[in-house]
This record gives sequence, structure tokens and C-alpha cells, in this order.
Amino acid sequence: MQCKELESVLEGQGLGPLPVEAQQHLAGCPACQGILADFSAIAAIAKTIPAEVNPPDRIWVSVRAQLKAEGLIREPVELPEKSPQRQNRWQNLLALLRPRNLATVGVALLLLIGAALETGKHKSPDPQPPLPSPSEAGVTLQQAEQDLPNIQLAGNSTVDASLRQNLLTVNEFIAECEQHLKLNPQDEMAREYLYSAYQQKADLLSAMMDSGRSEH
Amino acid sequence: MMYEILKRTSIVSAVSAGLLIGAAIPTLATTPEHTERRFTVKGHPVVVLQNIVNGRIEVKSSKNPEIIVGSTAVTDKVAIDIEQVGDRVDINATSLATSSDPHEVEANFQLTVPEQTELQLRTQTGLIYVEQVNGDMKLQSVAGDIHLKEVSGYIIVKTTSGSLVCTQCGGKLEFNSISGGAQVLQPSLTGINLMTMTGNILYDGDFIRTGVYTMNSGRGRIEVRFSGNDSFDLTTKNLTGTVDNQAAEFLKPDSHTSRKEIKNYRKLQGTVGQGLAKVELSSYSGTIRILKRD
Repeated sequence: MQCKELESVLEGQGLGPLPVEAQQHLAGCPACQGILADFSAIAAIAKTIPAEVNPPDRIWVSVRAQLKAEGLIREPVELPEKSPQRQNRWQNLLALLRPRNLATVGVALLLLIGAALETGKHKSPDPQPPLPSPSEAGVTLQQAEQDLPNIQLAGNSTVDASLRQNLLTVNEFIAECEQHLKLNPQDEMAREYLYSAYQQKADLLSAMMDSGRSEH
Repeated sequence: MMYEILKRTSIVSAVSAGLLIGAAIPTLATTPEHTERRFTVKGHPVVVLQNIVNGRIEVKSSKNPEIIVGSTAVTDKVAIDIEQVGDRVDINATSLATSSDPHEVEANFQLTVPEQTELQLRTQTGLIYVEQVNGDMKLQSVAGDIHLKEVSGYIIVKTTSGSLVCTQCGGKLEFNSISGGAQVLQPSLTGINLMTMTGNILYDGDFIRTGVYTMNSGRGRIEVRFSGNDSFDLTTKNLTGTVDNQAAEFLKPDSHTSRKEIKNYRKLQGTVGQGLAKVELSSYSGTIRILKRD
């Protein structure tokens, strides 16, 4: 086995028990021993990072930029039709994010809203089963909102009041759109406004969570 | 006797001095302190400012290749970290303690930057004011307003309830807010995308001939004031609100027959001049008003 092959094994299998060939190569290759030591150190340090760590803002910016770059948020980019692989990719990403729970609810919501937006934008003659329907997105947002009473906001009265007041505003608007869509389910314009309101609510909840975490 | 008088005088003096010092200590502790730092930069620098407390951010430009960061804050209430990495300057202001007085947990910034500077500014409640800076900028605020004057670049503004006033701005503008409004005055913007749920939108200026201008409001009013020299195609959509067309005499029937017909909505389609720019206005339940400037 060569060094590159060992790297492939590490990439594919991680740091679990290595095949015999890999172990033999490793025993006689100081360079690969160094790589393995680095990976092991990274993995060990990663385990010590608390699950509720507050990601820096640049992560949110990057995630948002990436979502925009992929056309999941508001960008009028023609994307290929959704495939099972694409759905799996989203599901995998959401599964990856799940352990980070609170800190990444915002990202998950953005993914949901982004997917909902895309579902609304790109209609094929033989549509795939939709990812999140408006009601699914609404339920997810409601669940996130229910966690909010457990979060103490920043203690800045002006900011807290603004955030809470605007959450009420968004909820009222969402209710208005949902009510309209019940009566007129084919109304594309109302649907667009509803998706937009969901996205704003997701951003707002994310900001409220950020605000709460910045205090602690 | 004299000794007693001297003794009493000394005691009174000492107590008075103590009281004065005692009173002065908390005053000093809560008095905002001004500091200034300078960073030499080359090319097109980037300034990232995260103000996670109250406070105003003011940015102006100069011809000098340096960034000057002036800050005013109560030092034991607010921590200000400034770091330069190459041509990027990172500034962070965070609260050290909760306080019942919002003015204590406050940091105000005055930045002077080269004209070609990229800005990423974020604050909670204070005004963000940027003047004569050419560069991409991302400006975020919860409740603070954002005023831009003579700036250009790809401008992204996001607020929760803060409003935007953009005067003589160039480039492209994106604005997103829940209850904040947007005023775009005398622009030379080649594209805008404004979205607010309950705020009002005012666009008062010319439309660049290749530009695309999209304005959406949930419940607020959208008002567009155009000039007689403009050339644009106009489409408005309104679900339950009203369209107040005060410029009917300048709007010709839509000359582009390939456009989709809008059904079921209160709509207005028309062309001013040759219809070179594209203007799309949409409101859920607000009023859309179109008028020509004098």
C-alpha cells in the first residue's frame, strides 16, 4: 500500500480499525504516522467541544452564502430538478446538524425555508414529492418558537422588545396568509408571501437565539 | 480652644474630601471613555464591526490608506477588541455586565476608512451612518436605523425594525426588514430588491435603463416617484390592497406582449418611455402608489 492509498482509507473509513495492509504500511511510514496522529488529535479535540457551542457569526454568513450560492435561498438560479440524491443530501445535512440542536435550529430552519422556496419556484410536469410543505415549515417554526421562553434574551430592553414585537407581527402575517391560502389554495402570490414570512420568522428566531446566547 | 477648632476643621475637611472622592469614583467608572486607534492598510480593506451592545456606528472616508477607529464606551461595562489581520480590521464590542441603564452598556464608533473599503457592520439599536464609501457592504441592525449617503457597491441591509434611508446611492441594493421601512432617494442604483413586511417603501429617483427594481411589501405602502425622462416597464401586483395610480397619463399600455398576464390580482401594467428598465412592485395588502415627480 502507498501513502495515497492509506489517505483514501482514512478518508473513507475514518479512524476506526484499519485494514491489515494499511496497518503494515503505517508501521513503516513516519509520514503517514504523522498524518494519523494529526487526525487523532483533531478528533480528540473535537470531542471536547461542547454541543451547545455558539458558532461565530461568520459561520452563519458562510452558511447563508452557501445556501444562496446553491440557489436554495431567493436566488433566481435555474437548478436541476430535485433528485433522490439531492433529497438525501439535505436529509444528511440536517442529520449532521441535529446534535447541535439549539445552536443550529436557525440553519435547519433556513434549509427548510430554502427548500420550501425552491419547491414553490420550480415546478416540473412530474413533480417529485415536495420536501417541506408550508405547513411543515410552519410546524417546525412553531416548535422552535416554543423553545424561546426557555431562552433569556440579551437583557437589552429595546432589542428584546423589538424582537418580541416583530415576532408577533410575523406570526400575525403568517396567520393571515395561511387563512387566505385555506380559502384559495392555488394563490401563488399568497404562497410566496407566506414563504417569505417563514423565512423572516426563521431569521428572527435565529436572531433571538443569538441574542440569548450572547448574554451567557 | 484653637486646637479644638483646628481639629474640627480637619475632620470636616477630611470627611468632605472623602465624600467628594467617593462621589467621584462611581462617576469616573460610568463616564464613557474615548479611544482612537489607527491601522495602516493597502488596497481595498475590509472592516468587520460587531457591536453587540447599544450604540451608533458612523463611517466616513478619507484619501489616506489607513483606518481610524474611534470608540466611546464605559470601559468596565463594555469590552472593545480590535484586531488587524492584513487588510482586514475586526472590531468587537461586547457587554461585560447587565445594567438597568441602557446608556451604560453602549459603544459608539466613529470610523474613517479609505474610500474603497468593504464594510460588514452589525449593531443592536444605534444608528448606522455611512457616507462616501465605495465598496460592498453588509449592514445589520435590530432596532437601529441605517442611513447611507453617497455610497456605492453591492449593499445588503437587513434589519428587524430599523429603517433605511439611502441617499444618492449607487450599485445594487438589497433590503430586508420585518417592520422597518426604506427610502431610496436620488439613486443611481442599477438594481434593487426591497422587502419589508409592515414598513413603507419610498423610491424617489431615476431608473437606470438596464436596471431591475423589485419592491415588495406585506402591509406597508410602496410609493414610486419617477421622472418624465425615465424608461421602464412597470408591473404591480396587489392581493387585497389598492393601487393608486397618479401617473396614468404617462403610462402607456404595456408594449411587451410576451409578458404573462397577471390574473386574480389588483394589477397595473404599463410602460414609460421605451420600457428599458424593469420595475416590479408587489404588496399583499398595502397601497401601491405611482406618481411622476414635478
